[in-house]
Amino acid sequence: MIKHSDNIDRDLLSQILDLLIPAGPARGIPGAGAIGVADFVIKAAAFCPDGSAHLVAFLHSVKAAPRPLEESLLRSLEQAQAADFQWLLRQTYMGYYSRPDMRASVGVAPWPVHPKGYDVAAEPQETLDALTAPVRARGPIYRNPVCGTKVTT
Amino acid sequence: MTHDTVDVLIVGAGASGAAIAWSLLDTRMRILCLEQGPHVPDSQFPSRDDDYELARYGAFSADPNVRKLRQDYPINVDETCITPVNFNGVGGSTINFLGHWPRMKPSDFRARSLDGVAQDWPIDYDILAPFYDQNDRNTGVSGLGGNPAYPVYTPELPPIPIGKLGQKLAMGFNALGWHWWPSDVAILSRDHDGRSKCVNAGTCDLGCAAGAKGGTNFTYWPILENAGVELRTQCRVREVLTDDTTGLATGVLYYGPDGHLHSQKAEMVVLACNGIGTPRLLLNSASKSFPEGLCNRSDQVGRNLMFHPLTGVSGVFDEPMEGHKGPMACAILSQEFYEGDPARGFSRGYGLHSGRSTTPMTYALGGYGIDSPIPWGAAHRHIMDNVYPNLASLTVVAEDLPEPHNRVTLDPSLTDSDDVPAPKVSYTLGDNTRAMLAHGTARATELLLAAGARTILNKGGPEVWRRAGWHQMGTCRMGENPDTSVVNEWGRCHDVKNLFIVDGSIFVTAGAVNPTSTIQALALYIGDRIKANIATLFD
Repeated sequence: MIKHSDNIDRDLLSQILDLLIPAGPARGIPGAGAIGVADFVIKAAAFCPDGSAHLVAFLHSVKAAPRPLEESLLRSLEQAQAADFQWLLRQTYMGYYSRPDMRASVGVAPWPVHPKGYDVAAEPQETLDALTAPVRARGPIYRNPVCGTKVTT
Repeated sequence: MTHDTVDVLIVGAGASGAAIAWSLLDTRMRILCLEQGPHVPDSQFPSRDDDYELARYGAFSADPNVRKLRQDYPINVDETCITPVNFNGVGGSTINFLGHWPRMKPSDFRARSLDGVAQDWPIDYDILAPFYDQNDRNTGVSGLGGNPAYPVYTPELPPIPIGKLGQKLAMGFNALGWHWWPSDVAILSRDHDGRSKCVNAGTCDLGCAAGAKGGTNFTYWPILENAGVELRTQCRVREVLTDDTTGLATGVLYYGPDGHLHSQKAEMVVLACNGIGTPRLLLNSASKSFPEGLCNRSDQVGRNLMFHPLTGVSGVFDEPMEGHKGPMACAILSQEFYEGDPARGFSRGYGLHSGRSTTPMTYALGGYGIDSPIPWGAAHRHIMDNVYPNLASLTVVAEDLPEPHNRVTLDPSLTDSDDVPAPKVSYTLGDNTRAMLAHGTARATELLLAAGARTILNKGGPEVWRRAGWHQMGTCRMGENPDTSVVNEWGRCHDVKNLFIVDGSIFVTAGAVNPTSTIQALALYIGDRIKANIATLFD
């Protein structure tokens, strides 16, 4: 178990996270590393069984790789260290989308959904009547268990 | 709290336990309910938190093997393609169920007679209809009357909004000439009976902090506790006790919140522990008279496990569908392919359910099905920015057929926190179900395209959603023949005449609709039969 975040190369982890969830510059959306999801991942590693082992092993492999840290390296490690990678990916998604501002970046309200929720207008009766008219026009479509035939009006 | 003999001892405070307790209130019998979970106040529901989605992967996961709370029991799922999910607490799985409330249909009770498969129920739709109505009144149900897929009934409250997504899909169904209808839901569309209406939070699985969803924690239990029903929480029943001389149940042994084993005597025992928990308890109650498990002389306890195997198809539309706004599983429901038609190449049928979209973390972790993360890297950015907001999906909800080899047994080594043997689920998909799901996937694709989707996404391959075993049925089935069933036509065990089962385990067939409405209607019906037969109840 990781006792101190000092044991983790946070900068390296943040670079990895920015490759997992990259920024969307056109809409001003930051990547996972830039908004500090590394802190979430490091904390998760301390609390999850085997979390620190997964994280340490993955970072070690990235550091030891004779290639620069870019997407192709992560693709190869995704295959070579599937369990470590999947653990990290899962924590990254959880850390990123647990942030209200990132939730809002994909169109979902930043506030807790209770008590405010969302305003959704009920369809007027005439709208429902118009939408269901073709369905009602067909008549009953369930089977009569007595004779096995469809009920007719 | 005393351990004096009670008249009725109910095991489980979920959907069915609450309903039968309500039915028996007017008998003035002394009723005690033992529930392994605690009260879960709505102030603790995670949808009030900024990071509410995280709860789905911890204490509010639907999967007991993930939650691992003291009140949960583990389930060995090594030999099943569908993992059972549940919740333990006052309200049971109605705390985190989604409130979809369709009834079973008349033909569901006659699968053998109509389609030559499975067995007929010993009761029928007409018998249950008044109990559906009563339970709807007790629960608060919203919907639109006049659905031509059912005999006539009218929900008490108007339908919840089907929203932009529902309207879009409805127009697709109309274009193809297929049946659809606004879903019946156990969710209030307006303030009702002292409870507040739905706020369209979209997180029904995290407990409804508004109190709009008809979990028994909001509906039956406040009434029951006010009326004097004793509810003991954090009490896990280890076994049902029987008298070898009389053959009757005498009570139960249970672990209390103090961790000690207690004995509770009762004149009548009612099991309401769901389709996994009830066979587990019966199998854990073996005795000299019942060496293979209580009420298991027929060898049917735990067999014929049915889920509703699910798969889904998503369409990507040209504009945001606002699918995160509104109850997550309920918008519209099509039963165009529900009634059996041999020309389709399989028996029985399925429903096409339009849920709404889920929230971002859940989509990122669950993907096109619900089990696998979406891609990372540039593809992730593209999907979350351009696909996720524009999704509308259909879930194919297939009727499972009862097969004896699909079953619940006791795991030889796995136990819960009180060292009570845990259940093991052995389950495979039948060929009929696979054919049905393939047909449903093709029809859902056709519909989404008709509704205007520009891209179709699905999980691909023959797999069903894994963590989707919400509906657990058939493991103590009802029937008139003691050699092929566990309980009679009103829920009384063939082998022990003062032991009743009222949960989904007594289903004979599964239908292709969410079962809670039927589970509770059955519990009310069984309560009614107990009262009607009270003078000769144990003869």
